[in-house]
Amino acid sequence: MKNTSSSPTAQSPVPAEMSAGMLKFLGIAALLGLVIWRWNDFIAVFVNVLIWIYDVVGNNFGLAIILFTILIRIITWPLNAQQMKGATAMQELQNDKEWQAVQKKYAKDKEKMAQEQMRFYREKGINPFGSCLPTLIQFPIIIALYQSITRALGSTPLDLLKLSRSLWLPNVLDLVPLNSKFLWMDLGRPESVVLFGLAIPTLAVIVAATTYVQAKLTMPTSTTPGDQSAAMSGMMSIYMPLMLGWFALTFASGLSVYFITSNILGIVQYAVQGKANWRNLIPGASKK
Amino acid sequence: MRKKLAITMTILLGAVLLSACSGGPVHGATWPGLVTNGTTAYLSDGSVYAVNLKDGKPAWTYPGSTKLIFHAPAAVTPDGLVIVGSAGTDYSLIALNPADINPETNAPIEAWKFTGAQDRWMAAPLVLDNKLFAPNSDGNLYILDLQDGRSVKEATVVELGGRLWAAPTTDGERVYITSLDHSVTAVDANTYDILWQEDLGAAVPGSAVLGEDGMLYVGSLASQLEKFDPATGRHQTVIEAENWVWSTPSLDGDTLYFSDVDGNFYPFNTSTGSLNWNPVKPDGSITASPLVSGDSILIATESGSIYQVSKDGQSVLWSEPGGKIYTTPVAAGDLVLVAPLETEFYLAAYDQNGHQAWTFTPGK
Repeated sequence: MKNTSSSPTAQSPVPAEMSAGMLKFLGIAALLGLVIWRWNDFIAVFVNVLIWIYDVVGNNFGLAIILFTILIRIITWPLNAQQMKGATAMQELQNDKEWQAVQKKYAKDKEKMAQEQMRFYREKGINPFGSCLPTLIQFPIIIALYQSITRALGSTPLDLLKLSRSLWLPNVLDLVPLNSKFLWMDLGRPESVVLFGLAIPTLAVIVAATTYVQAKLTMPTSTTPGDQSAAMSGMMSIYMPLMLGWFALTFASGLSVYFITSNILGIVQYAVQGKANWRNLIPGASKK
Repeated sequence: MRKKLAITMTILLGAVLLSACSGGPVHGATWPGLVTNGTTAYLSDGSVYAVNLKDGKPAWTYPGSTKLIFHAPAAVTPDGLVIVGSAGTDYSLIALNPADINPETNAPIEAWKFTGAQDRWMAAPLVLDNKLFAPNSDGNLYILDLQDGRSVKEATVVELGGRLWAAPTTDGERVYITSLDHSVTAVDANTYDILWQEDLGAAVPGSAVLGEDGMLYVGSLASQLEKFDPATGRHQTVIEAENWVWSTPSLDGDTLYFSDVDGNFYPFNTSTGSLNWNPVKPDGSITASPLVSGDSILIATESGSIYQVSKDGQSVLWSEPGGKIYTTPVAAGDLVLVAPLETEFYLAAYDQNGHQAWTFTPGK
């Protein structure tokens, strides 16, 4: 157990790990504010990187999105790793006998409970803001990517005109408009495959499935009955696949390519770090 | 519980933000198409709106949907059919008969339909004799017989490549089609053979124009105005612009007026091969074609203004409809019709002095 009593910040009302975590959180929030303020420039960066990759890989926009997603995962890797670490620590806390006893003891004294919670966070080195960061970062990226794809592809006159204002790279004029075809898809439009007269949204199904698998693999095993954190993880493993599946059904299929690549990379990342909980994929196995 | 709520709210916010970007069959997804037959204006802006020029009142509406979305300018045939293609997921080209209105829906009956295209319709088709030359975003030029009496049309397909976003031009013998794949093509109007196809090195979103000198002129995203021999396709650059030339040049005698997306307005004299005067630069990007109106030229800018430029290059602010104007203004008798984006109204008419005569807003 970490001993922070000798730390100069120990007397501070906010523990060292907490204040560092809060500072990081505020830093990310400030960065997000900057991104929103300079949203068009942010999109333009995405567009130019996508077009640069598109050029390098021989005018294949699907491949460009996949490589761009890998780039995004690499850039956000430290944050994801930190989130995983934080989630594991939080789960360990939920299963901690001492914490469970404290929860029972101070069930009716919220102030004391908060103090004890802070103490536990300090002792376990948990950053309570850590798990919010990937969610906070993911959404601007998804929205920016969606707008970048539609802008880069220039599917409508207005999008193509906007593209003209986003191009910073020299000598890309001959690339415009980009080829939106990838495998069987038009990356600027929602995808479906017609089988026996029925339009099957295959990408939406794959997006939902990979999101579900990723959520299940990262879902910690709880030994505590009525564990709120585990209940929430379980809920998210249902809601997130449905929501991203709906996005895939509704929006440009280029976004689905991003979701699928990102999910697969996430699964690989968890597996490489030995955090993947494969038993969760077997119905009922995690309860044993 | 608070954390759960925060995550749920974040997800919902994300969903709402993403949904807001999706466009759909609504006003403003891209700029509308606008044409007139002298008594009625046809506005393709999600739905197709027929508006009486006399008072700006709606005559009928052909409603768009999540699948049928209309942005391409319509073509009006000599027998009064209004032909317009969908830019939604249903790639139908539909002929509407304004003489046959469904009293319950106030929508015209479909005279015929063509469903053979593979992509969106962004360009107005060309009516030539009894044929319809319809360019599609799938790179094909579809040629339909307007007199075959079919309710479901079949087409002769000429494969050109790229996205065809501009209305074809014709001299009666050949049909000239521009493409975003950087090409300009001449197709025989009778045999449908490709006579020549030339690459300009950059996309061509506007139509070609036949000059008084018999040459074909095309602006491109290579920021150039190109002159073609319509018989052979041999071409040369006649003037360099500051930025992308989006709009179709407008012809007035031996002068071609055109603009670039930086907002420069050029008067190119086809006889002398030079500019009549230095380019003027009003107040915003220009994608709309200039409108030659009497002794002056009207140019609409993205800033929502319309400038009147005299033929010796003096420009004055003529009107300020507001919003953003990308669609080429259309002259209809004494009126000038303007269809901006980001305004409360969808269409406005101005008299010759630039005063607003009426506005049209669906549902009002």
